[in-house]
Amino acid sequence: MTVFVCRDTFEGILCGVYDGWTSGLGHDNVCLEIEDTGNVRMFADYRRVEEEDWKFLRVEEAVIRRAGRKTCGMVYRASLSREEEKADRIYRFLIYALSAGRDAAERLQIPAVNAVFQMNRSVENEANRLIEFLRFRQIAGGALLAVAAPKNDVIALTVPHFVDRMNAENWIICDKNRRKAAVHRSMGSTVTVHIPDGAFWEKLAEPGDQQEFEELWKTFCRSIAIGQRTNPRCQMNHLPLRYRPYMTEFT
Amino acid sequence: MWIQENMELNEKLEILADAAKYDVSCTSSGSERRGKPGQLGNAVKAGICHSFSADGRCISLLKILFTNQCVYDCRYCINRRSNDVRRAAFTPEEVCRLTVEFYRRNYIEGLFLSSGVLESPDHTMDLLFQTLWKLRCEYGFNGYIHVKAIPGADPELIRMTGLLADRMSVNLELPTSEGLRMLAPSKSRSRILAPMRQIQRGIAAGKQEIVPRKGFRSFVPAGQSTQMIVGATRDSDFQLLAVAEALYRNYEMKRVFYSAFVRVNDDSLLPALPGGPPLLREHRLYQADWLMRFYGFRADELLTEDRPNFNLFLDPKCDWALRNMNRFPIEVNTADYAELLRVPGIGVRSARRIIAARRGSRLDFPDLKKMGVVLKRAAFFLTCGGRMMYPVRMDADAVAARLVGEEQRRAWDIEHRDAYRQMSMFDDGFLNPAPAPEDAGSVLSGQM
Repeated sequence: MTVFVCRDTFEGILCGVYDGWTSGLGHDNVCLEIEDTGNVRMFADYRRVEEEDWKFLRVEEAVIRRAGRKTCGMVYRASLSREEEKADRIYRFLIYALSAGRDAAERLQIPAVNAVFQMNRSVENEANRLIEFLRFRQIAGGALLAVAAPKNDVIALTVPHFVDRMNAENWIICDKNRRKAAVHRSMGSTVTVHIPDGAFWEKLAEPGDQQEFEELWKTFCRSIAIGQRTNPRCQMNHLPLRYRPYMTEFT
Repeated sequence: MWIQENMELNEKLEILADAAKYDVSCTSSGSERRGKPGQLGNAVKAGICHSFSADGRCISLLKILFTNQCVYDCRYCINRRSNDVRRAAFTPEEVCRLTVEFYRRNYIEGLFLSSGVLESPDHTMDLLFQTLWKLRCEYGFNGYIHVKAIPGADPELIRMTGLLADRMSVNLELPTSEGLRMLAPSKSRSRILAPMRQIQRGIAAGKQEIVPRKGFRSFVPAGQSTQMIVGATRDSDFQLLAVAEALYRNYEMKRVFYSAFVRVNDDSLLPALPGGPPLLREHRLYQADWLMRFYGFRADELLTEDRPNFNLFLDPKCDWALRNMNRFPIEVNTADYAELLRVPGIGVRSARRIIAARRGSRLDFPDLKKMGVVLKRAAFFLTCGGRMMYPVRMDADAVAARLVGEEQRRAWDIEHRDAYRQMSMFDDGFLNPAPAPEDAGSVLSGQM
């Protein structure tokens, strides 16, 4: 078994797919892994994936041409998943999808397709939940700041929604788990930046400006509930506990 | 009646959100609108829920009354004229600031503005219009707005308000006109239906426009909805469902909401509800409503005159399937979409996935599980490649016995969700069997 070790990005994984595919060892003797996951196999030959733009582009173009743009989007979202085996699952899926054509993503009875379908679904669901449950607070200068700790790397998927909705505002969305942030400038562009540990992350806990609206929101959430229908389990189903530490109405 | 002046905004919000909470509708769906440069907000077709309150209902919109003062005296309503409750009124500015500030913080998807009737329907509708105009034109708010049309208001006012809103609604409240006459003497069915018809015509006329004029807004793009109270009168489930079906068909409603009656007023004409609001009944009505809107069922397939109420132990789809066992089992690999939708345990998504997946190769039961089919229910009604999942006697009673066990537990959860009970080996599924005749006799005679 030869293991190709790639970086934990969409580009990294697709370069891994290229190297694995063109190694000439046969699909059954090749496997893909994300770097630094901590698991090392005993009788495997490890190779590092050399990341090159042209490799990535060739694989991406092949996926779009032979399996369609929709499938390519699905692979992209799967690559944001927190699953450690995602690189190999994507490899197995592409082996099938590139030969089966545009409907490949719908053959859920094929295990390789199902694995990517599940990852894609869980990433999509979490991105949608983040769009719902993200809470901004106003910081000095009138900018808006939101902090979240998603399981999957979904910040990038929420950005287009907020750019369309709040293009005239300055805002920052922070991913606490990955030390990443998406920063938008009013009427301008949006960038994703990596912010190392330090002062920035410590400052996030400080309260913001205009706290009266946070109080008003808490009042609203309290009085809109009907006492006779109290149903914490239903509430928990829709709004899992792990989102609540970052939501204004639960702090 | 008396509105306190100089009330703190926080207190006003507390009173007017509390007064609005019995309105069920809190959806932000139906409108798709891109953001505009420099303006705040857009609208997403599917709608977005932003939070869930302690009763498990979603909070999507800032749901408030403009004022809870009201000239009417409807017996079921907390804001009736004769009730001694704190009264308050917002100003249009206050509503706008709350909406915009909440929206930028991603608390809400937009505004739901309803109101008690202040002075007259026209005056109230005018206030709602002014608020919406300010919000759209002065504050540049481009998000979702749901507004109530006040029955009896000038049609021109309703039309102008509708051009600023995404959705409008008029609440039917009670399914029959007798019920309305009894509990809401100052409202009449024809006065409620008139603005509904006007909104429907307005929406239809808007769709006729071939080239949308630039800068002009369309009339109520997200359609209209309404709500009925469940359990305040003696109306049966069949009556409620038939009315809902008529509303969907004749008034092109986007949604009909059902609201389990909460007894907020002590009135001799209102039913006493010792077990709390009829939540299971409300749940069954919503299940049936979905069956009518997405699964192609008709009201008279689910209920009939001589069987006018839903089965307590089975959801409406299982119930229907058991009464139509001659249609089952169906073959997954050949059945069409409409047939698949009628199988308990298969929903819209899983039916679509089945249709798409079986083009590639034949499906088997483990594959169905992966596609989201609930085999606990579907297994009794399906074959894969001509075989059932396990041997089942195709007999309504035998299947019902196996379905009821699961459904009973869910039904029990809905009605008694706060109670806690230790599981025991002698569990009777939380239903007490009737006492044996000997026991009943011994209680009467005093012998134990």
